[in-house]
Amino acid sequence: MTPGWLLLVAGVGLAAGISAFKLPRVWLAATLAGAAAAFAAAVWMLATGAVWDWQLDFIIGGEKLHLQLDGISAFFLILLSILGGAGTLYSSEYWTDKMHPDSAPAGRAWWNGLLLNMGFVLLCANGLHFLIVWELFTVCAYFLISLERQRPEARAAGWLYFAASHVATLCLFAFFALLAARTGSWELGPMREHRELAPLFWLALVGFGIKAGIFPLHIWLPSAHANAPSHVSAIMSGMAIKMGIYGLVRFTGWLPAPDSAGWVVAALGVISAVLGVAFALGQHDLKRLLAYHSVENIGIILIGLGFAMIAVSHGNAAWGQLALAGALLHVWNHGLFKALLFLGAGSVLHATGTREMSRLGGLWRAMPWTGSLFALGATAIAGLPPLNGFVSEWLVYLGLFDAVSARGHAAFAAILAVIALGVTGALALACFVKVCGVVFLGLPRTEIAEHVHECGWRMRLPMLALGAACVAIGLAPILFWPALATAAAAWQPGLANALPSAPLVMLGAFHLALAALVILAAIFLWRRVKQNGVSREGTWDCGYAAPTARMQYTAGSFAGIITGWFDWILRPQRHAHLPKGNFPAHADFVEHTPETVLENIVEPTGSLVMRVSMAVRHLQHGRVQSYIFYLLLGLVALAILAVMGGAK
Amino acid sequence: MIVALDIFLRLAAWLLLAPLLPGIINKVKAWVAGRRGPPVLQLYFDLAKLWRKGVVLSTAVSPAHVIGPAVAWVAIIVAALLLPIGPAGASLSFRGDALLFVYLLAFARFCIALAALDTGSAFEGMGVAREVSYAVLSEAAIITALLTLCVQTSSVALATMLAPSAGAGAALLAAGLFGVLLAENCRVPFDDPNTHLELTMIHEVMVLDHSGPPLAAILHGASLKLLLFAVLLTEAVLPLGKLSLLPAIGALLASVFVVTIAIGLVESLLARLAFRRVPLLLTTAFLFCLFALLVAWKGVAP
Repeated sequence: MTPGWLLLVAGVGLAAGISAFKLPRVWLAATLAGAAAAFAAAVWMLATGAVWDWQLDFIIGGEKLHLQLDGISAFFLILLSILGGAGTLYSSEYWTDKMHPDSAPAGRAWWNGLLLNMGFVLLCANGLHFLIVWELFTVCAYFLISLERQRPEARAAGWLYFAASHVATLCLFAFFALLAARTGSWELGPMREHRELAPLFWLALVGFGIKAGIFPLHIWLPSAHANAPSHVSAIMSGMAIKMGIYGLVRFTGWLPAPDSAGWVVAALGVISAVLGVAFALGQHDLKRLLAYHSVENIGIILIGLGFAMIAVSHGNAAWGQLALAGALLHVWNHGLFKALLFLGAGSVLHATGTREMSRLGGLWRAMPWTGSLFALGATAIAGLPPLNGFVSEWLVYLGLFDAVSARGHAAFAAILAVIALGVTGALALACFVKVCGVVFLGLPRTEIAEHVHECGWRMRLPMLALGAACVAIGLAPILFWPALATAAAAWQPGLANALPSAPLVMLGAFHLALAALVILAAIFLWRRVKQNGVSREGTWDCGYAAPTARMQYTAGSFAGIITGWFDWILRPQRHAHLPKGNFPAHADFVEHTPETVLENIVEPTGSLVMRVSMAVRHLQHGRVQSYIFYLLLGLVALAILAVMGGAK
Repeated sequence: MIVALDIFLRLAAWLLLAPLLPGIINKVKAWVAGRRGPPVLQLYFDLAKLWRKGVVLSTAVSPAHVIGPAVAWVAIIVAALLLPIGPAGASLSFRGDALLFVYLLAFARFCIALAALDTGSAFEGMGVAREVSYAVLSEAAIITALLTLCVQTSSVALATMLAPSAGAGAALLAAGLFGVLLAENCRVPFDDPNTHLELTMIHEVMVLDHSGPPLAAILHGASLKLLLFAVLLTEAVLPLGKLSLLPAIGALLASVFVVTIAIGLVESLLARLAFRRVPLLLTTAFLFCLFALLVAWKGVAP
């Protein structure tokens, strides 16, 4: 079977899933089959390197349908099919008809619509059709985010997402329309020699940047990811924001970019990476925290992409390929471990009913699977060896260090980016120590954390699969290089290089040895401890007589030092009632990190516009006398104009 | 066969020499204070004893409490094997291993931190929060130091980067790396390993609830990390890679000894800083590394 047939099977499977939305079992089978077929098609393309191009006489909106599966599309399609399959299986236990009789069937239909349209976005090679499926994908995502309509936060999050996405779509309308006007055709394809198209890049950057959640365009992202059902958060964070990255990669590859484009993308990457993780540290809501880490990881991807663009504009320097390979691999890696973490957070939410980290604690006892898989994902996202997050960050680092060694234009920028990347890594580590420690370790802080249950195998299996993928990319990165090289070659033909200029084989061998040694040492020490004898006592609390679980460090106190450094942008609001007198009756302390960009920039601007509009509205109040007065004023003004302007 | 023997010998040297450093530091401190002090080999005795002892585990802990120290110990050992020994190079060297080195140390920090949070103790939470927060600044400093060496040698492999001397900015780099060494190993003025007040500690408070073999792994790992930073500092500054093997090893041992004595003197002569000043001192270390980078940038003709 060729990719075309496989993609047809995928499309039919997903469409069948939509029509079978009332029959969960049929829906599950059809959707999984569709995802598997899409996966096979993408692997086929990347393995053979043959571009699948399909033009039909079938006309939509006056344009012929043109689908194309090349290296970049296939690269993103693999991630889509894996995350789509994992989320499908997960939701079949997480969002069942029994628990959500109103929203579950609709959720299944919108879910398949989302997968189908994201797939079409990856395949479309026609600007008009790209816009149509892009809009459909946005709408499907809106309905999924606000699936729990009864909750006001979910409605508000959906509304914010809808509004932000339409600003993005507006930019893309302008982008594609201007592109079509200047080239005379809606057909998309490589047109790097048309230098006059370069300024269009800025429209694409804003349009795709909002979708990708670049800081400061990320305003919709935290609340949307936090309030959506967890399998939806997983695909939104793992894949939907990557569609923005796809757009940027695709159109920086096909179209010429202005000279400053690479610098701007890299600078936005640095800002997103550092501030994304800083905001993440200030969050007390598990899913909101994970959402801010998406901003951080998008930043890392953009640093790689930005430096690759700089390299291209300086004659395809070799370090550009490393930076691009790192960025692309980070697209996969972030999709895998972030989906894993969101599914883990979903299991916690499922078991406890709260996303507030400071009410949890000690969950590992009841949820050993979720706890260990979440810890695996945390190790990966913190960029630690021997897992996949380190491999992609390492490739980006290598590209940047080579840029420094080459001492060209980019060297100074590369130095700054390296330091920012190092700081981001250490901050992410701090943040995930906090999450794992507060949620899964220690003692339950409240009663809700005491009576929990492990999730079933249909929720566990997708997490296991995603975790296994993280381990596989970490231990054998060289196996995935051909896919990276194919995608990089589709981006810029000058980057076609089958052999990596980074010693991925050595790194893989090192990671394998490290993993083996770690396991051996853990078993060895464990056996030694058992052999020497274990006695159990309460935690030593420095002589305090009556420690309680509520005295444990909380998420807020843990992050206090670092959030203090970022006070200037986080602007946390603290309300304290300190204990007073000899017998204090009541004391409390509340800390909340606002959405700085949304609450201090977007909302004031919006309310200013509203106030101006309200003021203007007074002009029109339906009294005939005033309208006659306006007419009179107008006539007088015209008369003055005619007299003053002379009779030409 | 020879490779295996080489790795084995290096491993033995790292493992056996490391516990000597805290002993020397304590001896220097005792000498300055006019006391006799514990024997130089005290940590060896402690480790041997801890290894045979039973374990008291908190009722709150998960298996991570025991696995964490084991994993952290392996990560530090493996990072040590990446460091070259003078002209003999590293037993394992490839492009980009400098970054692996930094991230292996971060991995060790991650594991120890989780093992500490596992006990649910507020004090250990405090220690972990301080450790991971200050590590942000020391990681920035150490990455900048690596950038300096990269500018100097146009390489990202530790064996090549550490072979020549750091050139004109050597003194700046040494100052910066010494600051990072003190902070990362929780020495005065960042932390006081000897205090008995849990509220004011970083590293020691993280291991309050560990005992027996896991505590031995943590203590040995900490001494290894100290040795590792002393070697990194020495090799970054001195051109040991350009000497022949025996003088290089002699110079390395002598300089590590000097660095150890310097740590002991700093501990005897300085008081621990207030916590709010720690970030300032670490930022100073970072700036030293940054200025070393600028000097290197100007010094090496493009």
